[in-house]
Amino acid sequence: MDGDKTATVLGPTVEIEGEIEGEEDLVIQGRIQGKIVSRKDLTVDSSGKVEASISTKNLAVSGMLVGNVTATERVEVRKEGKMVGDIKAPRVVIADGAKFKGNIEMGVD
Amino acid sequence: MSTGNPGLIGKAIRIKGELHGEEDLIIEGKVEGTIALKKNHLILERSAVIAASVEVENITIKGQMNGNTSASNRVEITSDAKVVGDIKAPRIVMAEGARFRGQVDMDVKLPPGV
Repeated sequence: MDGDKTATVLGPTVEIEGEIEGEEDLVIQGRIQGKIVSRKDLTVDSSGKVEASISTKNLAVSGMLVGNVTATERVEVRKEGKMVGDIKAPRVVIADGAKFKGNIEMGVD
Repeated sequence: MSTGNPGLIGKAIRIKGELHGEEDLIIEGKVEGTIALKKNHLILERSAVIAASVEVENITIKGQMNGNTSASNRVEITSDAKVVGDIKAPRIVMAEGARFRGQVDMDVKLPPGV
């Protein structure tokens, strides 16, 4: 999800209260409150603070996220990430050191 | 965690009931009921099929586990594991490929204002 791929970056000083909808990769380094709908990769960077319900393809959390997430592919809470909320995704990874509280539903029979 | 070799419950063993202990334990077989190894490390191997509530210090899950887990230190769910149940522990690691359904509680403290 990192790398040279072009992506929208909402920098550390950006604060949004409302809805974000997009069809390109999105990196959040600032503060978002509301709702995010993405069909691509969404990254909450280490400085990012997000309080939102999220619907996306892939999600990586290195910052702080409060809210429920539905991902069509994968959710990763990285080692410095902190998340409170429910996750619904076929693949979920929680790294050593990550903090998480919530329900996880991977569609296990 | 205790020193010395861990105990082993082999593939061909089935246990139904309560299991208590004060040594590290590897389970390859089937256990149904409760498992309490409050100061020890429990390893559920790939062949293990567990339907139990579990209380341990550390647990590594590689097999099938159905039930709630409480660990005073760390829970590791490896890529081969299939887990249905709730988990409470200060540290939880979930590997890519693991299958999980349930509630996870790491006692997260959020800063005020979030």
